Amino acid sequence: MKLTLSSVYRPHSFPKLLNCSSFGILGRPFCSSALSSSPTCVKPQVPLFLRPPIYSTKLCDLKKWHDWAKGVSLSIGSTFVQSDNGADSNMLCRELKWLMEDAVEDHSLGMEDDDRVKMRIDIEELYCLWTQRVQERRPFQYVVGCEHWRDLVLSVQEGVLIPRPETELVVDFVSDVVSENEDLRSGVWADLGTGSGALAIGICGVLGSEGGRVIATDLSPVAVAVATYNVQRYCLQDKIDLREGSWFEPLKDMEGKLAGLVSNPPYIPSEDISGLQAEVGRHEPRLALDGGIEGMDALHHLCVGAALMLKPGGFFAFETNGEQQCCALVDYIKSRSGRSFCNLEIRADFAGIQRFVIGFHQ
Amino acid sequence: MAHKILFRPTLVLTLTFHKTPFSVSYHPFRRSQQQPFSFLNTHPTARTTNNTHTHLWCSNFSTTTTTEGSEKCYLYLTDEDLMRQCEMGTFKSSGPGGQHRNKRESAVRLKHLPTGIIAQASEDRSQHKNRASALSRLRSLIALKVRKTVDLDPYSPPRELLQILPPKSSIRGSDCGPQIGPNNPRFALGMQALLDLVFAVEGSVSDAAKYLGLSTGALSRLILSDDSLRKEVNDLRASKGMKPLK
Ligand SMILES: C[S@@+](CC[C@H](N)C(=O)[O-])C[C@H]1O[C@@H](n2cnc3c(N)ncnc32)[C@H](O)[C@@H]1O
Repeated sequence: MKLTLSSVYRPHSFPKLLNCSSFGILGRPFCSSALSSSPTCVKPQVPLFLRPPIYSTKLCDLKKWHDWAKGVSLSIGSTFVQSDNGADSNMLCRELKWLMEDAVEDHSLGMEDDDRVKMRIDIEELYCLWTQRVQERRPFQYVVGCEHWRDLVLSVQEGVLIPRPETELVVDFVSDVVSENEDLRSGVWADLGTGSGALAIGICGVLGSEGGRVIATDLSPVAVAVATYNVQRYCLQDKIDLREGSWFEPLKDMEGKLAGLVSNPPYIPSEDISGLQAEVGRHEPRLALDGGIEGMDALHHLCVGAALMLKPGGFFAFETNGEQQCCALVDYIKSRSGRSFCNLEIRADFAGIQRFVIGFHQ
Repeated sequence: MAHKILFRPTLVLTLTFHKTPFSVSYHPFRRSQQQPFSFLNTHPTARTTNNTHTHLWCSNFSTTTTTEGSEKCYLYLTDEDLMRQCEMGTFKSSGPGGQHRNKRESAVRLKHLPTGIIAQASEDRSQHKNRASALSRLRSLIALKVRKTVDLDPYSPPRELLQILPPKSSIRGSDCGPQIGPNNPRFALGMQALLDLVFAVEGSVSDAAKYLGLSTGALSRLILSDDSLRKEVNDLRASKGMKPLK
């Protein structure tokens, strides 16, 4: 089943928004028969850059908006950095440029103030969006409805975790493993707590068209709906199987059969949640972040399950909160199911923080 | 199909960083670089830095490579091999990172270990693409900063140089194909050879033009067509007490 561009566009489903403060500002939910098969009725939103350019504005009005938004951004200085390590003015200005890229259709703008520019959003809404970004600290990725991750552009919205650059490395680990092992390349992989579907889609890419399938699960219906949308956008619905449910529950049929298992589960200790950067703590789903008292509830559960679900020689990779959790997890695995796993390793992320635990089933 | 374009097989390279082996996937395909919204200038354009103004001469740091290898230098390496000669880092983040953080800071910094040249990219929204931009920027910097000695008697320009010359050059055979411009990734190779020649003739554009079968004006126009090339030539001319090309 191919998703055509015309079905993605649905030109008439974006009414002018009157209420600026509500979420869901990105337009009326996307609605397509292709998605009605998802288990619940959550309708994913279309990212700004994929919406039809049905608006038009005068170049001078766009400039005016831009100057206003830039002024707002500059007035922030390092306020957010000091309060919770948020974005500074430079970062906000860069985001502003990206917002323009997504909102304006025709990038070769004319020169005259009266020239009209084709837009994917009404200019009035741009004012609302930037106010939300700065005043409410709404994450930039929710404002534009997408995140650039590896070579993908993934749709995201409130209720779904915005994939992080650190997590990109998990796909590279899988790529390394399958490049030396045809058996693993052609096997079935699982991404538990898939969120936007980032890892599942990335892994599907490195398995290649001849490679195996990926099963992706999530407890959150919004995550499943958004992941389904992303999978369809990359035409991978034949390769990626999305299942709603808690961790291994939807995988009962796969016991002892998985070639690989990856997860970036919630791992932040509960007591740290309240001090998070506003964009994260106030706007991203707690279900995706809160890992229990020590942050390791899900990680422990995943390790126990991995011993059961992976086939002999199967590979796993988990993302953690950092060095402490990595070490604790390795100890946990060794003490609980020491003989089930081999070649346990801790890997660092690009910033040099010990971030991942990887290993193989015996 | 638009979705297809967004998802391409990636080419995977492995390199070492902080003793932890990891690999990066380098995305060979890049959208043509548009320069949208030039009126806005919301942030400084991508910076490339190099820590030296002096030129490196290839022979200074060729170690065990053959003469052939050192002559050809780094620009002939595949992306994968060039990346292997680099140390890559992101800018150290403060704090625990991962799920704690939402900051689109995906800047990448590549240090080319044999030459010490540093290229960075931070303008893109994904770390992945910044890596690709930094690598292509590194190629330009190598072309600008790494000099090879040139034999002028007789002078035989490499094919890459012929390809960037305008068709009216009398030494450019018809088999060179259409002229390659500054936006083509292969321009760096021709630019490097052109700079080698200009250095060999100590900055004299008219002398270089004779070797290339061009009028002085035509060669000047070629040099002026690329900002960094022009700057490099003018720096050399300034150091020899010559007037800059304009
Ligand atoms: C940190 S997010 C990771 C999302 C995505 N894999 C990524 O890396 O961007 C954790 C995900 O786990 C999901 N999750 C939380 N509890 C779960 C459970 N009991 N079963 C399945 N998924 C769960 C959340 O909904 C969220 O999507």
